[in-house]
Amino acid sequence: MATVFEKKLRVIDLSMGWAGPLAGQMLAEMGAEVIKVEDTHYFDWWRGSLSMGPPEAQPIERAATFNTANRGKLGVTLDLLNPRGIELVKRLVADADILIENYSPGVMERFGLSYEILAPLNPRLIMISMPSFGYGGPETFSRGYGNTVEAMAGVTGLARYHDNDQPYTLSNALGDPVGGLTGTFGILAAIYEREKTGRGQWIELAQVEGLIPMLAESILEYQLTGKVPAPRGNRHPYAAPHGIYRCAGAEAQAWIALAAYREDQWRALAETLGAGHLASDPRFIDAAARKANEDALDSELNLSLSAIPAEDAVKRLSAAGVYAAHVNSAPAVLGDAQLLERGYFVPIERAVVGTHLYPGAVARMSVTPAAQEAPAPMLGQHNGEVFRGLLKMTDAEIAELEAAGVIGTAPRTYRKAS
Amino acid sequence: MRYRALSGIKVVDLTHFIAGPYATMLLADYGASVIKVEPPAGEGARRIGPFRAGAQAADRGALFAFLNANKLGVTLDLKHPRGRELIRGLLRDADLMVENFAPGTLARLGLEPAELLETFPRLSIVSISNFGQDGAERGGLLDDLTLFARGGWTFPVGERDREPLTPPGSLAQYIGGLYGAVGAMQTVIARDLTAHRGQHVDISLLEATVATMIYETVAFQYNGVLRERAGRRFAVGPFMIVTLKCRDGYAGLQCVTDKQFVGLCDLMQRPELVHDERFNTALKRMVNNDALLEIVAGFFLEHERNWLYREGQARAIPLVPIPSVAEVLEWEQTRARGYFQTIDDPALGKIKVPGAPLRFHSHPPEAIRPAPLLGEHNRQILGARLGVGAAELKSLADEGVIAGT
Repeated sequence: MATVFEKKLRVIDLSMGWAGPLAGQMLAEMGAEVIKVEDTHYFDWWRGSLSMGPPEAQPIERAATFNTANRGKLGVTLDLLNPRGIELVKRLVADADILIENYSPGVMERFGLSYEILAPLNPRLIMISMPSFGYGGPETFSRGYGNTVEAMAGVTGLARYHDNDQPYTLSNALGDPVGGLTGTFGILAAIYEREKTGRGQWIELAQVEGLIPMLAESILEYQLTGKVPAPRGNRHPYAAPHGIYRCAGAEAQAWIALAAYREDQWRALAETLGAGHLASDPRFIDAAARKANEDALDSELNLSLSAIPAEDAVKRLSAAGVYAAHVNSAPAVLGDAQLLERGYFVPIERAVVGTHLYPGAVARMSVTPAAQEAPAPMLGQHNGEVFRGLLKMTDAEIAELEAAGVIGTAPRTYRKAS
Repeated sequence: MRYRALSGIKVVDLTHFIAGPYATMLLADYGASVIKVEPPAGEGARRIGPFRAGAQAADRGALFAFLNANKLGVTLDLKHPRGRELIRGLLRDADLMVENFAPGTLARLGLEPAELLETFPRLSIVSISNFGQDGAERGGLLDDLTLFARGGWTFPVGERDREPLTPPGSLAQYIGGLYGAVGAMQTVIARDLTAHRGQHVDISLLEATVATMIYETVAFQYNGVLRERAGRRFAVGPFMIVTLKCRDGYAGLQCVTDKQFVGLCDLMQRPELVHDERFNTALKRMVNNDALLEIVAGFFLEHERNWLYREGQARAIPLVPIPSVAEVLEWEQTRARGYFQTIDDPALGKIKVPGAPLRFHSHPPEAIRPAPLLGEHNRQILGARLGVGAAELKSLADEGVIAGT
């Protein structure tokens, strides 16, 4: 079966880290030809760091993050501080459909690669810029990454235990994946528009503006009640029990999440745990009572669950119609029965690291399935293929570029920006 | 805001609550014509909050008002034969049908996806469900708490010596909605460009949640290291990504590169730390992370978060005050960019809602339209577009097949 784009879309991906690269990776899954452009001096920081130890221990090319977010792309290198490198970026862009970048505002302008400069070379070009806080406003030039974007959207401030003021950063630098997904949607919408108008455009995603809508409930609650919503921790405003409890067994496998929203669920929960007496206990007789005595309720449930292995508890509670799930660590996610049955993870072989399972395409398309076999490129792996094939260079020209340091396949020492 | 990029795309929206409505909201924000089809009792989100203090508007929670702005609304009882006929009338010239019922529900309503795709070759169907359309657990229960837990988000968050902490709100459902919007666009583009017919997209909220945990699932296979809860630290590593108490609240610091570390030492007026044997390489900053954190935490505690924010940013350090949602709403950056939009909602009055997340520069955006009242566009859509006469509309209302105006 065919993919969405069947190579009829060419993407130049100048982005680094996660947000921009995720958009490029998703387009690659849709069958676009995605060319990732890196500088051999300032390559994607997720590829690994040179500052972590002696050269033989360099973790470059061994980063799970990079190798996940850049699957399916062609990798080329170009020195972006060298005018010849910039000239070659322009030649690539002139014949491309999409340009993705997630630099801070001002960087593309300093490279001489702003949309104003590129659009005349290719009026059909769709360029997406994905800075943390947007072009415009007092924070235009402020620094942000996934975690700090997450904080500025208001997420971190809500991530606290119910009984402690300390906020916690979530586990996945949420600004990044949300930015990448929102950016992908924007690119596809702009492609649709271009099919009607024949014209490309510049689209702008302030990553923080992609994340704030996901907190609409709290933002609206504040407006309508005048009160800043109290962090809920693992608890729920009116339902109890609702939380994370420890079962029997080794700590890393022992936590489960469970919730009962209705009285019949609560009774089923108590019966299932062999604690039917709790259902008739006056302290827990209805939702209001359980909320009022939630500390005692949680202690009782932890006591009951301490005798039951987590897997067993989840199975029995789910069968009884109670919301229950194992708090999955990474190996538990990899072994999750439903994910396995649907073949969610896909094995991909890559140089240096070998074969591993990677998260697959989420949208399962019945007619145009995702292309997800190709690994992330090594640094400059496709220089020859792209420059020879696309830019019609001779082997001699490519060798000369390499000798001049404009392209390469090995990291170069950091140097001062000119 | 409402852009025109997707004008021409017609969406029949059968979704409810969050994940599905967020998918169709994105389509509507960028110009698609979205007809929300609700049962005569209205979809569930109309009856969940937040509500205006003291006044519980019967059919209008504020989250509903946000997620369904820019959509048109009709009511139809899909269990009634006439309801089924009329929905087919809407599907006839639609590009997309989006739904987030439990798997199997569409077939029970006489809207079996394979048959619809056969009957309406230009139509695609996007289905968003808890666990996907197949697999043993396809009908299983899932709420925010259990979705985060099972998807792997919860395990690494919180204090080492107490229970893991669930992420707040319904974030993962919105991510499922984003995947839905992306999937919807894929079908339209594939139909016009390569496949020349519609298709069915199956999105599992669990898979959408797992997809954003690449640190975990892939890194664990590479190095076998189980990522444990690291308290106020994001994780243990050669970096300092941490939430720290200040004199007047908390701030978030991300100090990853050598340059940021030098900047941080300068901010703390501790230039000697740059060359300190314990911290002078990334590797040593990983080994001696506790000692460094103690110094940094002590400094933060003595300063105000907005001062730290300004001084940190002046040194190109990603350092932020950790705002409440109230502060996000008042944030000068969102004001300067005109990010929050005001909806003059017929039931709730004026509310500010987050604007469309991407700015399209090909054309100026139009004003946001309030979410439909129950059945607000029955006459416009069922009447004018499908040709149902006034007398029949009345009898359908009497029979309870439609409701509202």
